Amino acid sequence: MIQVRSVSKSFGNIEAVKNVSFTIDKGEIFGILGPNGAGKSTIVNILNTLVKPDKGDVIIDGVNINDDVDSIKLIMGVVPQEIALYEELSAYENLMFWGGLYNIPKQELKANVNNTLEIVDLVNRKDDRIKNFSGGMKRRINIACSLLHGPKILVLDEPTVGVDPQNRNHIFEVIERLNNEGMTIIYTTHYMEEAERFCDKIAIIDVGRIIAQGTLKELRKISDAKDILTIKLADSDNKIIYGITSANPLFKFDHTSDTLKVECVNISSDISIIINHIQNSGGIIESISTQGTNLESIYLKLTGKELRD
Amino acid sequence: MFKLFKKDLILFFHDRRSVMLTFLLPVILITLFAFAYGSIGTYNGRSEPVKLLVADLDQTLTSKKIIYKIDSLKDVSITLSDSAKSKELVTKGKYACALIIYKGFQDSLESAKTTRVELVYDRSREMEIGILQQNLISTLMSSTGEIIVKKNIEKYLKDQFADIDKGTRDNILNTVIIKDNNKLALKWTSIVGMKNNTKLGLIQAVAGTAILMLLFSVALVGTSILEEKENGTINRLLYSPLKGSSILYGKMLFAFFISILQLTSMFLFAGLMFKMDLSINIPALILMILATAFAVSSLGIFLAAIAKTRQQAQNLSTILILIMSAIGGSMIPLFIMPSILQKIALLSVNYWGIQGFYDIFWRALPLELILPKILILMGIGIIMTSASIQLFKKRL
Repeated sequence: MIQVRSVSKSFGNIEAVKNVSFTIDKGEIFGILGPNGAGKSTIVNILNTLVKPDKGDVIIDGVNINDDVDSIKLIMGVVPQEIALYEELSAYENLMFWGGLYNIPKQELKANVNNTLEIVDLVNRKDDRIKNFSGGMKRRINIACSLLHGPKILVLDEPTVGVDPQNRNHIFEVIERLNNEGMTIIYTTHYMEEAERFCDKIAIIDVGRIIAQGTLKELRKISDAKDILTIKLADSDNKIIYGITSANPLFKFDHTSDTLKVECVNISSDISIIINHIQNSGGIIESISTQGTNLESIYLKLTGKELRD
Repeated sequence: MFKLFKKDLILFFHDRRSVMLTFLLPVILITLFAFAYGSIGTYNGRSEPVKLLVADLDQTLTSKKIIYKIDSLKDVSITLSDSAKSKELVTKGKYACALIIYKGFQDSLESAKTTRVELVYDRSREMEIGILQQNLISTLMSSTGEIIVKKNIEKYLKDQFADIDKGTRDNILNTVIIKDNNKLALKWTSIVGMKNNTKLGLIQAVAGTAILMLLFSVALVGTSILEEKENGTINRLLYSPLKGSSILYGKMLFAFFISILQLTSMFLFAGLMFKMDLSINIPALILMILATAFAVSSLGIFLAAIAKTRQQAQNLSTILILIMSAIGGSMIPLFIMPSILQKIALLSVNYWGIQGFYDIFWRALPLELILPKILILMGIGIIMTSASIQLFKKRL
């Protein structure tokens, strides 16, 4: 459905995107994960033809974006990061305006507006002005505006920024529903859990480069990230801690949290050995928590820094 | 309390807009008004002499002598022309007045008949006419009155005292002429603003204020483009099949429509409330409203195009609008300003708009004579719009 081949883009001296390539299949949810300023929005703007790449090709639905911008715009729906709505207009008026830009016949547009209002579950608020909506409701209308022309591909640029958990779930449900109906979705985020939740494939981007991409399983393999066991001891006596960590280098003491951290390939099989080792070294365990391999640890492993840095 | 004061002081000086509006703008306006009202200058409150057209149809020694005397006045500068051209230039507002010395002027003086001299003028140019009254009239009176009296007394002395010696006769003449030299009847003819009932001040108030307010309205429309850019709606518009130039044309159309609506309603208000005669030249009025609205809206869009942020656009428009309105005649009538400012005023939309409305309502000129101003306004509009499109292409 989408092929991005060796795309680069600079703004002045700043290389925003460097030699980026990826492929997205029809009906897939593709996540672009990276911190703020990593180049996610530039990739989105290249895909939606707003920014012309300096190098490389982008083929969408068999069409090179440089050859036919207009037809690309018709098959793409873009949900911008900002709440790009007119606050003084009602939800219905906003939808009619944004949909009207695609020259959809009036009756068809009205039907589409009602349908999308139903998708984002805001039918009963359609006549209220946007300025009276909560942040989450505005985000939902922001998505609805991009669906009116029936796009094959929906690009969502950080659609849940500043949204409360309830509205966030609502947005996730909308995305999953659209994907189940066959829509291809590109989803940029800096929230790992969102990418983990529904992305079929994920590209991890850092300072304009894709440093890894694939399914979560593939990324786990690429990064060699392991599950982490966190153990809190009843008494953080230096002697005991030294005894535990010197006998096994996999045991690391985190002075900030006063906890022992152990990297494991498989927590369930390794946990009894670990507990025995602590107890034999004179340690008394107060609590144990586990953290499976996730995007956070993968990102940390690949970039050496936390995603929210 | 002192901490609050200090904090506000720091915030104030960090806010360039506040600093500019507080200090720079008043300084600029004071300077402009000082020039305009003539506190800087030497010619009776003006910084330059009054320009007077003179048509000498008599072409005699006396008429030439008078012209020479007028020309030697420091407050008056004369330009020679013919009668018809002089009247036309006054009617068009190029000159405040013209002195026409008709054929037979010298003969009429010598025969002590009514003198044949007329001052045609535009009564809207009060200040210039006032200066002429002080200077020109006394010169004219003394010159012509001397001739009239001299001729009369000479005739009398010749008839009654034929053998009087030359010295005694000259003494008598000099004494009488000094005491009695105000016999000239100069004909004053106002040739502008006579065909309608609209008062001059009303035209200035309506046209000047309308264009000033119009500039503020369209500046708001212009800054709304930057507002849309800042809140992301411009990008969303660009995601759609809409072209960048269409967005600009859409904004332009809105500004144009609002401008027409605002100008029309202001003139209608003046018509209803102050009995301004709007029917004097309806085609010219319609064209003038359209051209002014076009030029002003394109200026609003241009302001938005050259500014990078909404804040910058607001600062720029406030300063530019006030300066342009001050020199363009929205705040003070243009004719009282020194010529250098009158020349700078040609760069402002206000000037062409106000002068156009003056042509319609005051000078009652026919459409073909107003057309150049309409075309200039259209030209300003086209240039500004083209420049804005180019700038927006780079920015969007």
